[in-house]
Amino acid sequence: MVGSPAHPVDLAALIAATMLPFASFLAILVVTRGRPRLSAWLSIGSVTITLACSIALLALHSGLTTPIGFSADLIGSSGLNIPFGFLLDRLNLLMIVVVSTICFLVQVYSLGYMAGDPGFSRYYAFMSLFTWAMMSLAVSANLLQLYFFWELVGLSSYLLIGFWYEKFSATQAGKKAFVMTRAGDAAFFIGILLLFIHTGDLGIVNLDSRAALAGVPPSFITLSALLIFGGIVGKSAQFPLLTWLPDAMEGPTPVSALLHSATMVAAGVYLFARLFPFFSMSAVAMSVFLAIGTISMLLASTMAMVSRDIKKVWAFSTISQLGFMIMALGAGSYFAGVFHLTTHAGFKALLFLCSGVFIHRFETNDVYELSRLGAKRMLIPMVTMVLGAAALSGLPPLSGYFSKEAVMGSLAGLPNPVWLGAGLAGVFLTAYYSFRLIFILLFPRETAVTIPVGTPSPPPQAAGIPAGAPGAWAMAVPLIVLATITVVLGFFETPLKNFIGAGMLAGGSVGGEALSWTPLAALALALAGVGLAWVEFGRKGARQIGFVDRIPILHRLFAERWYIDRFYGLLVNLVIDRGISRLCYLNDRKVIDGGIDGLCEGAVESGRVMAVLQTGMVQYRLLAIFAVLALLALYFYY
Amino acid sequence: MIAPFRDILLLAATLFALGAFCAVVRRNLIMIVLGIEIMLNAAAIVFVGASLHLNNLDGQTFVLFILAVAATEVSVGLAIIVYAFRRTGSFDPRHFNLLR
Repeated sequence: MVGSPAHPVDLAALIAATMLPFASFLAILVVTRGRPRLSAWLSIGSVTITLACSIALLALHSGLTTPIGFSADLIGSSGLNIPFGFLLDRLNLLMIVVVSTICFLVQVYSLGYMAGDPGFSRYYAFMSLFTWAMMSLAVSANLLQLYFFWELVGLSSYLLIGFWYEKFSATQAGKKAFVMTRAGDAAFFIGILLLFIHTGDLGIVNLDSRAALAGVPPSFITLSALLIFGGIVGKSAQFPLLTWLPDAMEGPTPVSALLHSATMVAAGVYLFARLFPFFSMSAVAMSVFLAIGTISMLLASTMAMVSRDIKKVWAFSTISQLGFMIMALGAGSYFAGVFHLTTHAGFKALLFLCSGVFIHRFETNDVYELSRLGAKRMLIPMVTMVLGAAALSGLPPLSGYFSKEAVMGSLAGLPNPVWLGAGLAGVFLTAYYSFRLIFILLFPRETAVTIPVGTPSPPPQAAGIPAGAPGAWAMAVPLIVLATITVVLGFFETPLKNFIGAGMLAGGSVGGEALSWTPLAALALALAGVGLAWVEFGRKGARQIGFVDRIPILHRLFAERWYIDRFYGLLVNLVIDRGISRLCYLNDRKVIDGGIDGLCEGAVESGRVMAVLQTGMVQYRLLAIFAVLALLALYFYY
Repeated sequence: MIAPFRDILLLAATLFALGAFCAVVRRNLIMIVLGIEIMLNAAAIVFVGASLHLNNLDGQTFVLFILAVAATEVSVGLAIIVYAFRRTGSFDPRHFNLLR
């Protein structure tokens, strides 16, 4: 039992919030697979209840001081007890509301986006699976339990990326995402085991208290923190493992909005915040996290500057914003990281859903193509998208402005100015690439359009649904809701700060004091980014060629994603294909096959040699008998 | 005793060697059986000689048995040879190597 005991009403609400999506997942797969409408309503109904329960829990416990816990021993054997249960504190109250809100909106949106898809029921089943896993992940009381749901979230990500499994690239992307995140999760699991061996209790409350880890050597804490961070790197697509996320855009757009920008990839950052006091016990590990966040943030921003694929731009931007969150947390500011997570979930889901409307209507991902086909004539998505992009760039008075200021403030509190410089550069790049995309969409240029080979351009009338179809409202309403959230969320900074900051588990500083000029500098750089984008893509007569495009080497480097994928390809080719699997192959062919073959051939050959002695000639045997007898006689005689 | 025991043993040994030589060298089944008969008789001579030498009649009894066994052995052996000849048309032992 951890924390104060749970009230039965809380428990009922929690169980309803976490288990109903799972029930609907089973029901859809088993019963209503053949009836898509019913499946969709089942799933949306369950996620509505989840949302209601989450909001009710948040409202009930807005003044929560000690975490509420409930646990039961599910895995137990002699001397080894791993309790499973719920833990509710301020962080995951916020997290479950964020997750269920985005899940709800995205599922409503999917009614329009996925309409008529042959896998409609399957889609909603997987969505329910994801909702269940993500909610349970957020309320896990135990690191091992969290790991289970962590993997289930990964599974639903795999299933949804490869949702259109007829498409080869989609299945490949699903596989890549699965394998790459698994690489991180292996490290995560080793970290969990190490912690378990040393502390014997994986309860999150326990791990976050300094007293429980008092006897553990600091180098060991650093090691396990780094290993657990491996899981975060995989899930949140940070520096060494970042290339799976852009490929994950092969899935349906609502999936990208839900899993690959707002919630699932944020699970890594959530884990960081969850174990924040534990991580902050190791200064070495924290500076490693800070460095990895910075590298991912800058790399992904540069990649976003040259991408023509609207979804990939947002995917790179997601990596870079997750990098911002990790930077903020690594800099020791718990609130800035969590706040940016919350606002980012809103505006990034919004951006993806807007792009989804365009993609659904025009059936192309190419920005120039979308612009030429008249994306700017679609009023609601265009307006909301500009709002989302402005929030992403950190322009006031949108939510992104406030959270990015908080992040910058935390970086400014660090003794080394390099981090702040990198953060400010990131702000500039973010504003530049988001408004590059917006200006391209807003100001179509016939001349700048070079249709990429292999992408057929369908006539606008034939593609997608007409604007007046019933599905259009299902898609438009979530956009408006999310845009509203994006606009107003920033003004709740102080209440949120009080809520999150006060409810934090012991340890860790709330963040350094911001320098007075930091917000101004960040705002000026954001505006400069927008201005540069305007000069190059927006103003009349602009050729819509960015400064990066004019430097071929840089453009190649960014478009090839800094050759990270190539490097992995080479690595896999050299180490795994030519190294390990070749050795295995040789071992199989030469040692095992060769050994067995040699044994058999040896037996056959020796048999042949022995057979020469055996002629079947009776007189030779007689001779042999005489010879032996004669020799024996000699032997005994002398 | 007219002949010394040593000469009898020499005679028997010579006969035995000749019989063995015949059995091993001749490529004719009948001659092999003949060689074996000669070896049996060489053994019989040793028995008789030893019986005289040791003043014990047991040796001569043995010889009677040997003669009986040799007679039956020859009849069985010849019957097998006749049968084998009918099957293969040959007396050559090299042709009887089915068990090889």
